[in-house]
This record gives sequence, structure tokens and C-alpha cells, in this order.
Amino acid sequence: MGTGISALMGFFGLTSLFALVGTALVAWMAWRIVEKAGFPGWIGLVAILVSLTGVGSIVPLVLLWVFAFIRWPRDEAVGVLPGVPGSPAGGPPAGPAALPPPSQALPDRRSWRFAGATMGGEIVSLVIDGSSATYVLTSALARQPTDLSIADPSVGQPHARLLTSGARLGLEDLGSRGGTFIDGARLLPEHRARDISNARSIRLGGVALTLTRS
Amino acid sequence: MSDGGVVAWLLGLSSVLLLVVLFIHLLFALLLIIPTWRICVRAGYSGALSLFHLVPLIGSFIVMAVLAFGTWPAGEAPAGRR
Repeated sequence: MGTGISALMGFFGLTSLFALVGTALVAWMAWRIVEKAGFPGWIGLVAILVSLTGVGSIVPLVLLWVFAFIRWPRDEAVGVLPGVPGSPAGGPPAGPAALPPPSQALPDRRSWRFAGATMGGEIVSLVIDGSSATYVLTSALARQPTDLSIADPSVGQPHARLLTSGARLGLEDLGSRGGTFIDGARLLPEHRARDISNARSIRLGGVALTLTRS
Repeated sequence: MSDGGVVAWLLGLSSVLLLVVLFIHLLFALLLIIPTWRICVRAGYSGALSLFHLVPLIGSFIVMAVLAFGTWPAGEAPAGRR
């Protein structure tokens, strides 16, 4: 867009100082525009400022066309939003070609499920839907929605912490006496959080739980 | 050539020149309008916003200012990715 402005400014006989201020303003706005599209801001700045060099003012014009038609990182980041071309807000899509592309950042909505029994024979069934980033496994009564209570004397108060992140599930021992085991291997507090997304079973003290997804 | 003929000739020349200037202006504006139309639509604004390029001198500034300082209805890249 700098080309037309530079040409017009010359056409109207404005001083070169005013043209310089205008170019700086355009460069600043170009910085903000490419940032909103998801590119680094300096690309927009450089695209406008090359017109000050001997390259010629055709370059920013070409870059404007390129910018208008290339893929923007913004569209990859947020997936499909209303208003984005490809998912028209009004009217059904014209055909299969108009279907929006699959979102790459779609979170995994399936929940985790721990099933087992305490040593007293009580059935344990815990569902982790990922609505919270952390959950605490404890034998005390649940005081918060993120407290998962397992009424067994071998389970600590608290015993371990579950961490959710998208399609991944983590487990961290909180220094329990009964110990935490992932597929039979001891998890120590100094191990910090371990990914148990692919684990089949965990054991908290004497309570063995099988891990499934639903 | 009579006086009336000279005036008519000058009027004709000036109108032709005006048309040529207008045509070149339209041509250059179109070079800006086509990509800007697409940018405006992708940003969530009406493509007609890009027609501000037809306004001499300040039109391009208006389009850029709207795109640069307005909140894009179709969503902007999150701050973390900038």
C-alpha cells in the first residue's frame, strides 16, 4: 500500500518529510496487520520500508498480493472460526470443496477412567474429564471438585496428583507412605510428574486401578 | 479556426485528460483493492472496506488504520504466537 501513497504524495507535491512520516505510519500499521494474521510484525515493517531503498515501490505491492493470498498462521492456530472463509456464516457450503479444513488444535474430549476396588472391597470408579488441570487423589473426604477420594487406609492424604493437558494425563506422587506405582514401577516424589497416558494400571498403596479412556 | 472552435477543442482535450487520469487512478486503486478486499474478508470485515482505496491521498490510510487498530471479527492470532 506504500506505493500508492508515495505516488499520490509526489503527485500532490507534498514535502518529502511528510512522505517519510506517512511511510513510517504505514510501516507501523503494516506491522500490526501482519501480527494479527499471525506473522512476525517485522515482516510488515520490512515490506513497507523496502520502498525507501532502491528496490522500487513495486515490491511492497507484490508483497501485498502475496500476503492477501498465502495461508495465515492465525488460521492454523485457531482452527475453524465463524467468519473465516471456508466456513461461511450464512448459507450452507457450496460443495465438498467448501468444507472447512480439520482443526489441528482440537482438544481431545474423551475422559479418563480409573476403575478398581479398595482393600475393603469397595468399588472405585473415578472419571477425569479434563475440566481441571490438576486433580488430587486422597483418602480424605473430597472438599473440592478436583479432590478424588479413595476411601482406603493405604492411600495417603493427599496421595498423588493427576495432571491433565489435552490428550495427555500425568501422575505425580506427593510423598505418600503407601507408594504410587505405574504399571508396577514405583513412582517416587523426586520423579515429579510422569506421563501415564499410555499406562494400563496404576496402584496407590494397596488400591490397584486400571486406566481406560472413554 | 474560430474562437468557439478553440474553446471546444480545449474542453475536449481537458475532458479526455481527466478521463485518462481517472482511468489510471482506477487502475492503480484496483491493484490495491483486489488484495485488500481479500484481506478485509479474511479479517472478518466487509470487502467493500477496501473501496476506500478509491479515495485519493488518505483512502489507503483509512483502510490500513481500520485493519491495524480494529479488532478483527474473524479473530486475530493469539498474543503468544506473535
